Formats: sequence, C-alpha cells, structure tokens
Amino acid sequence: MNDIIFTAVVIAIKILIVLAVTLGLGAYLTWYERKFAGHLQARRGPTVVGPFGLLQPLADGLKLMTKAPILPRGVDTKLYYMAIMMALVPAIMLFAVVPFGPSFKIMGHEIKPIVANLNIAILYVFAMGSMAAYGTLFAGWASNSKYAFIGSLRKAALIVSYEVVLGFAALSVILLAGSMNVFDIVNAQIKSGVWYIVYQPISFILFLFCLLAESGRVPFDIQEAEAELVTGYNVEYGGMKFGIFPLAEWYLNVLALCAIASVLYFGGWAGPHIFGPFSGFIWFLAKTFGLLFFVLWVHWTLPRYQAKDVVEFAWKYLLPISIINLVGTAFFIYFKG
Amino acid sequence: MIGLVALLLISLTIAFVMTFLNEILNFKRRKTNSYPYECGVPLYDDSARPILKQGYYLFGLLLILFDIEAAYLFPWAVVFRNIGAYGLVEAVVFLGVLIIGFLYALKKGALKWQI
Repeated sequence: MNDIIFTAVVIAIKILIVLAVTLGLGAYLTWYERKFAGHLQARRGPTVVGPFGLLQPLADGLKLMTKAPILPRGVDTKLYYMAIMMALVPAIMLFAVVPFGPSFKIMGHEIKPIVANLNIAILYVFAMGSMAAYGTLFAGWASNSKYAFIGSLRKAALIVSYEVVLGFAALSVILLAGSMNVFDIVNAQIKSGVWYIVYQPISFILFLFCLLAESGRVPFDIQEAEAELVTGYNVEYGGMKFGIFPLAEWYLNVLALCAIASVLYFGGWAGPHIFGPFSGFIWFLAKTFGLLFFVLWVHWTLPRYQAKDVVEFAWKYLLPISIINLVGTAFFIYFKG
Repeated sequence: MIGLVALLLISLTIAFVMTFLNEILNFKRRKTNSYPYECGVPLYDDSARPILKQGYYLFGLLLILFDIEAAYLFPWAVVFRNIGAYGLVEAVVFLGVLIIGFLYALKKGALKWQI
C-alpha cells in the first residue's frame, strides 16, 4: 500500500515538473528570445516591465487572456478550436520522454527523472513531432483565410520532406547505441566514453536541419514568413488562442527536440562531477540550452529560403547523405565492433 | 505508463482551458465576428479554400514509401549487434533497392517542385 502511494506521489511530482518546465519556462523563453534578439540587433529588448523586463511574459500573458474572443466569419468552428489543442498537447507530451538527469535513490526506491521510461522513446518523439504538424494544418484549413491556408500547405511540404531525413539521421545513433531507450543511449555513451557527435557529425548536422525545419525556425520558417504571409497559419487567431501556437511550436518543440538532440549526440547528463549531486541535471540543462542558444542565434542571423528550395534540398541532398551515412555506420559497427 | 496517460489527460485539460480562456474571461459578453484578415478589403469570395496546385504531390507519395522503409529499419537498428553478417547484408540489399527507387524518382524528375 505504501508503495502505491509512493509511486503515485513520484508520478505527480514528475508531471508537475514537466508542466512547470513546459508552461513556465516556455513563457519565459519568449523573454529570453526577445532580449537575445534585441542585443543581436543593437537594441536593448524588453526593459520596461519589471527589472530587466523580467515581468514582460506575465504582462503579455495577461494581455492575451483579456482580449475579446474573435471568431472570424466562415471558419470551420470545430477544427478551429481543435487545431489549438492539436498543437499544444503533442508539444507537452514530447517532454514525457525527456530525461532530466541520471537516476537516483530516495528511501530505497530508484527514481528515474522521466515521466515515462519507454523502450521506444525515440520513435515516440517522431510520432509526437508528426502529430504537432496537424495543429498547423488544421489551423490553416479551418481559418478560411488565404494567408493561413498557404502557410499550412507550406508546413505540410516541410513535414513531408524532413520527416524522412530525421528518421534516417536518428537511425544511425540508434544503431550505435543498440537501443531506443533514452537511458540506454546515454549510458552507452558514458560507457564508451565518447559522445556520439564524434562518431556521427554528419548525422548531427542532418538532425539540426530537421530540428529547425520541424519547429519552424529560420532558415526554414516558410510557413510563417512574416513578409509574405503575415504570420501564416495562425493569422486568424487572437488572444490566448494565438498565444498557444508560438508557445507550442517555437518554444516547446524546440526545447524538447534540443533535449533529445543532447541525449542522442552530447551524452545527455554525462560530464565531470563538479557541481556535487546535481551535476548531472546541470550538465543536461547546460547542453540543452546551449543547443537552444544556437537555434536562436541562427534564427536571428540568417535569411529565409523559398519553399521550393527547402523541399528540394531535403530530398535531393539530405536524404541520400543520410542513407549513405547509415550504411557506413552499419559497416563500421560490423567490422570495428 | 500511468505517467504517460496522466500527462495526456492533464495536458488535454490544460489545452482545453487555454483554448476557451478568452471566452471564459469575457465577462462583458463582447461579441465580435469579423472578416478573415485580408488587409482590410472586403472579401472577393466567401471561401478561402480554393483548388490549388501545391507542387509537392509527388513528394507526398514518396514520403509514404520512404517513411515506411525507415519504420522497418528501426527494429533492425536495435538488434543489429545480435544478428551479425546476415543483418548487414539484408540491410544493404534493402537500402540498395531503396536507393535504386530514389535514383529512378530523381531521373524521372519527381524530386522537383512541380510548377
């Protein structure tokens, strides 16, 4: 009986932490991105609300909540509302398989800081990543606006081309680790003493491309190209209904995929024990935020490609490279062990 | 597994509440029903869901092919170390056929954005 209560409490705490990360940190990433973009463009970013503009996300959230609800004429009402949920739920669910650190012991029970320790975690990430695309597609179709419609069609083009490359890129890491479980992948890297980015630099670059494409970041943000489509698929949404889409796509998806990338290529929580018992957690966060920093840096530096170029690039160059990389990895493992 | 289901239910609830937050907090019962956003001009037609040539139809067909191939390779990648030479040869043949298909598509011009 005690065990059941203990397990329930542990699960509740894990879910609370995931929700705090997704909703709290997700909101604060808007502040971080605006500050970062400001300094990159020789501005100061948000400074007015609170010290260093730290209360800006709260003010933004309050503003979004108190907007009048707008339902544009001619929308497909059910899909219009469903699209929001279809965008947010997979984005939160992605964090179910993100390991926040090494397993530790409390009161004789071994606890793994992950909501669901699935043995098909990487497959689950791909599944949820594809599900998130439906939010965008439904939003564009339901809005009854040409900007939104074109934006969602472009998103479909992106998903159609980068899903395959993402699969083949991650396959070579799974081949090296011999497992799809995140804990096994990290432990395999700790055991061999080398992060997989050393063995798989090409795969990492392909994964990075796919990360940018799947989460709609520059240079692949063709579905929300401000200059042509205003903001693309979410142009007809207002208030909190609008707020969900950037939160889910720009922040939660990017954060989750960065965490998965640091698990696959940077050894997760592997690192020297210089922060005491929390060093694993700190290393994991440092790697994830390092990747996130890189994504933001790319976002605010590079221009945008055409939809045509982005899609053709994925099929003509990235896919053959990823298949050749996979075959090469298989031969390497067979002959070198 | 329980955690996954619980997280799904909680995130569905949060998404539901956030979707209807503006309607819930609309105490003054303001009613707005506006045009779709098209730079302020009245719409030319009521529906903005035209018949449209989207240019990546063949990519969509190829995606089905290649994504299913990738799905077959996931279990192979997990057990690769246990099946030895047999697994290696099988996968090389499998991917070889895939590459031939890819080259055929490339030659036929299916990997171009159709204008």
